[in-house]
Amino acid sequence: MAAGGAGGNSGGKTYSFKVVLLGEGYKLIIPPLPLQASFLTKKLNITGKRVNLAIWDTAGQERFHALGPIYYRDSNGAILVYDITDEDSFQKVKNWVKELRKMLGNEICLCIVGNKIDLDKDRHVSVEEAESYAESVGAKHYHTSAKLNKGIEELFLDLCKRMMETAQAEERLKGNGASQSASSRRGVQIVDDEPQATPAGGCCSSG
Amino acid sequence: MSQRTERRGIHVDQSDLLCKKGCGYYGNAAWQGLCSKCWREEYQRVRQKQIQDDWALAEKLQREEEAAYASSHGVQTQSHAQSAAPHPGHASLGPFSKFEEKKTNEKTRKVTTVKKFFSPSSRTAPKKETQEGKTPSPSISRHASFDTDQVSKDFVDFLKNLQKPGREIHKQCRAFIVNMSSKKDLSADELSECVQDFYQSMADRLMSHFKGSSDSVEQVMDQVEKYIMTRLYKSVFCPETTDDEKKDLATQNRIRALHWVTIQMLCVSMDEEIPEVSENVVKAITDIIEMDSKKVPRDKLGCITRCSKHIFSAIRITKNEPASADDFLPALIYIVLKANPPRLQSNIQYITRFCNPSRLMTGEDGYYFTNLCCAAAFIEKLDAQSLNLSPEEFERYMSGQASPRLNSSEGDWPDAGLAHGVPAANPVLAQVNRNLELLSSLSSKQERLMEAAQSLQADLLSWPETVKREVNDILEKYPLEILSCTVSAIDANNMDNDNLPPPLTPQVFAG
Repeated sequence: MAAGGAGGNSGGKTYSFKVVLLGEGYKLIIPPLPLQASFLTKKLNITGKRVNLAIWDTAGQERFHALGPIYYRDSNGAILVYDITDEDSFQKVKNWVKELRKMLGNEICLCIVGNKIDLDKDRHVSVEEAESYAESVGAKHYHTSAKLNKGIEELFLDLCKRMMETAQAEERLKGNGASQSASSRRGVQIVDDEPQATPAGGCCSSG
Repeated sequence: MSQRTERRGIHVDQSDLLCKKGCGYYGNAAWQGLCSKCWREEYQRVRQKQIQDDWALAEKLQREEEAAYASSHGVQTQSHAQSAAPHPGHASLGPFSKFEEKKTNEKTRKVTTVKKFFSPSSRTAPKKETQEGKTPSPSISRHASFDTDQVSKDFVDFLKNLQKPGREIHKQCRAFIVNMSSKKDLSADELSECVQDFYQSMADRLMSHFKGSSDSVEQVMDQVEKYIMTRLYKSVFCPETTDDEKKDLATQNRIRALHWVTIQMLCVSMDEEIPEVSENVVKAITDIIEMDSKKVPRDKLGCITRCSKHIFSAIRITKNEPASADDFLPALIYIVLKANPPRLQSNIQYITRFCNPSRLMTGEDGYYFTNLCCAAAFIEKLDAQSLNLSPEEFERYMSGQASPRLNSSEGDWPDAGLAHGVPAANPVLAQVNRNLELLSSLSSKQERLMEAAQSLQADLLSWPETVKREVNDILEKYPLEILSCTVSAIDANNMDNDNLPPPLTPQVFAG
């Protein structure tokens, strides 16, 4: 239900993904993105599949932390950025990961991003520590430098691929086809379900 | 609306509390002053009437439509007419026992043939005649049905472009509405599921029809949503089975109690001193209030989006750079606090339950809507910490013992009064004050100018006088004396000859 909601059975499937930017850290990598407002949509074409990416900026101040669940509800991916020269920011990312895994389980693709790799000499979070942590929570770790505009495009492309994989796996699990997932979605059956299905056949063959 | 103002009243007469029908039970404002029993009777009568009106119209439109298709689909039309006739009227909204009966009927009928599919229309059709003589429904429902008339027409016009599938869509929507009207005793969540399932199955079928062109599907789905939700609005918005109404009142009171919160406490980066910014703020407030007047979830979302766009412009003008969510959310909270939008919780619930989910999940509208949910949640849980106040201060403000305006001159509410805190008070008031000052300085300047002009006039008037006087003075000082003078005749014997120089004589110079 959450992923690829707009998809049909036909070949030209379009995926719609929601990605949230959480915490304060992501502000570090935002400037190079064409993010003019706090909401951004991107149309991508990945391995022949159309992907609509909706990127949600969230209020990062501490006093709005409690509102997190409202923001990340139904999202397919989350980007969590820390500053490699600031150990505190890595700790905050860890807290977010804990919360997201608790609330959304494994359905959400997590990206942990170490930013400011151009300042490697001031590094306070070791590469090994960060990468092994990311692995331990089923997230993927990325290195970026907003200043040198390095790694950010790759981050989004890779995230899209992962979200597509997740969505496809979910589809296979539910059986192929949105209609089936729709009926399994809810327990309550509506009385007029079946009569409605009949004219639909007619509308298919006519078109 | 009128209901709400009634409820706000503080002094209630004992007799006002009783059921208006005079049955002796207590009435309830939510039931228009009736008791539960009388209300149910009244409500069902009105609903029934409206459904009949809708049906009459739908049938009329259907006839029109069928006339248009008659040439190509004559056979099908006939079969429809036949199936319509033989079903006697099971009142779809009759008393409870009837409802149960109908339900079982429906189950047995659930044999899947196209013919049976048309049966809903037949069930209500005959009732039209029997109900015609009944008392007219209240004006509200008549007004509502006027709206729905227009929507139905638009819907049919839209579907005409789609040829045959359009007709199928129309039929299914109508059948769905009838079906829903029989389900009004379900809980709000169940109603929501029915509508969502309908959206989903409709979208799936459209998807296969349009061969995966999601734009066309979206277009049709928008129209379907508009049509269905306009019809269902009255029965599913803030239904009696939920405590939405209670939440609405709680939120309203909460926002009123927070009237003292200032723009500084929320750290909003909007400077209302700038006229353009305050204009955007006013527009944002208007938009968020307007949301309640819309019926279709998408239109409500449209109001939220417009409101948000105005907030973004306000922030951009103030900061001279694009706004991030860090700026936007506090600003939205501020706008909600100032606007106190009517039935905020009901509207949020309505949109959540009945909006097309694809729009809520990933669309831009969905983003702004989520922010509004956040704002509502924040206001509900707002405490001293979230405003950077000490708990004592917060308590004092909440209880009305103190007002932040008295401590600092930075109040910003219209009722701040003119006595204090004027400079930073409500921007409109500040503007008015500035204009007043300007006017008074202008008028004093004008007065000075008038004085100067008058003195100039006086000067001008007195000038000839003074000149005259001066001339007279001079004349007096130096009186004109005419001296008598004797004119000597030239030819009078050379009397003055001696005075004349000797005549020139030629002189010889040596050399």
